[in-house]
Amino acid sequence: MEENTLDVPRDFLYDPNHYWVKVTGSTVKIGLTAYGQNIMGDILYLELVSAGTLVKKGEKVGSIESSKWVGTLLTPITGKVVGRNDEAEANPRLVNIDPYATGWLLLVEISDLGELAGLMNATVYEKWAGEQIIRERERYESY
Amino acid sequence: MKAIKPTWRLLDTGPRSAAYNMAADKVILTARSKDQVANTLRFLEFSPPSALVGYHQAVELEVNEAYCRQQGIEINRRITGGGSIYLDEGQLGWEIFVHRETPGIPQNLEDMYRRICEGAVAGLARLGVKAQFRPKNDIEVNGRKISGSGGAEFENAILYHGTLLTDFDVDTMIKCLKLPIHKLDDKPVQSFKKRVICLREILGDLPPLTVIKRSLMEGFMESFQIRLDPGDLNRDEIMSLEKELPYFRSQEWIRGMRPKFQNSTLQVADHKTKGGLIRVSVLTDPSRHRIKSAFITGDFFAYPERSILDLEAALKDSSSHPADLFKTVTQFFAGREIRIPGIEPDDFYQAISLGVTQASRSKE
Repeated sequence: MEENTLDVPRDFLYDPNHYWVKVTGSTVKIGLTAYGQNIMGDILYLELVSAGTLVKKGEKVGSIESSKWVGTLLTPITGKVVGRNDEAEANPRLVNIDPYATGWLLLVEISDLGELAGLMNATVYEKWAGEQIIRERERYESY
Repeated sequence: MKAIKPTWRLLDTGPRSAAYNMAADKVILTARSKDQVANTLRFLEFSPPSALVGYHQAVELEVNEAYCRQQGIEINRRITGGGSIYLDEGQLGWEIFVHRETPGIPQNLEDMYRRICEGAVAGLARLGVKAQFRPKNDIEVNGRKISGSGGAEFENAILYHGTLLTDFDVDTMIKCLKLPIHKLDDKPVQSFKKRVICLREILGDLPPLTVIKRSLMEGFMESFQIRLDPGDLNRDEIMSLEKELPYFRSQEWIRGMRPKFQNSTLQVADHKTKGGLIRVSVLTDPSRHRIKSAFITGDFFAYPERSILDLEAALKDSSSHPADLFKTVTQFFAGREIRIPGIEPDDFYQAISLGVTQASRSKE
């Protein structure tokens, strides 16, 4: 399962909190990677900030719940929310079954295009996330 | 040479209002995320009695508000996930606040739940109670739930908590919460009571609370290889708590979750089989295509008896899409040695499916 979840789209960018970013001009679409949603498990609730909200990189832009766990959604990009996926909010399962397409979360108009340089490309993310998984497994098994 | 065990803080905040306990959860979690406090084990008690909904739940869908008002039961909302619960002096809350990188805490949620609950299970063993973890989030004794649990995260810190049933008032819980049973019928109520168990019922006499807490402390110390240092909230935490309390008492917090995409429908479905009648009370959310909980009774015989309770646990919060439901039921039976004369797994699927379909129709 872990091998599959790390097979990510080549033309997206990624952040260390397992979000993907698809850039179109000065607007980005944001979602959770397959590995990110896999860590959460079966997603029961999703709550996203409204369009028009100004968000700063690393800040909370929503909440997500699976198996009695409430997680925080953090934006990988600073800007203004210009769209959110109402369909996924109504049916959070989309994030589980189609994380890179219909399970997207937010559309953000970027304030600082320079922030994109701080994100990982697909190859770097796959390597980084793979190392994270190994480190986590070792940490757990050695305990 | 023996390795020095890490020291966690032990907090015992005593009987408090729901708002205090919920605000304290946020304050301690925030303080832990900023490295202002050590990993912490807290015991919490509720006075007056309280009905709590999960972070994403809507009070009006989960709680019988008129009954709570009449009985002086406080209503509040947790910062953690999961379903509604009733808390009075018959429960002891336990919770841990740890950094994500704490040794032995897995990233994967299911592994994490199991790992943390092992501490409480080890504590119960010290009281002579043979308990075990039951996915997704329960601790059970012979199939009957003795502790539910749930969690939340904030930056690099996590909060995971559970409630241990010590001497439980099931009748009030049934009246206070919107559960998948028709409360005026005695038989389902009696059957529902068999789904949970408390320390008094297992041990005959209830040990003093200090003994129960000591056992849980020892369980967590053993399980996480730690020492516990009794302490208090620090000055910053107390100040933050005073600041947060008005908000956690406000309707803005308690009713902050708008039920835009939520619903709650109770349906009872009967399915006749060669082995007897299967009656399924199913609480669904047709908007989100979820089975919130299911309660299965009937005049059939299941061996082992607990298998029906385990099936109910597997159905909790599961998808109600027909293909998913079929998968949940078949996978459940595929992994277990269960004998129910005259009844096939498909009969359970048919019974539950009927309840789900009726619920969807009643919504339309």
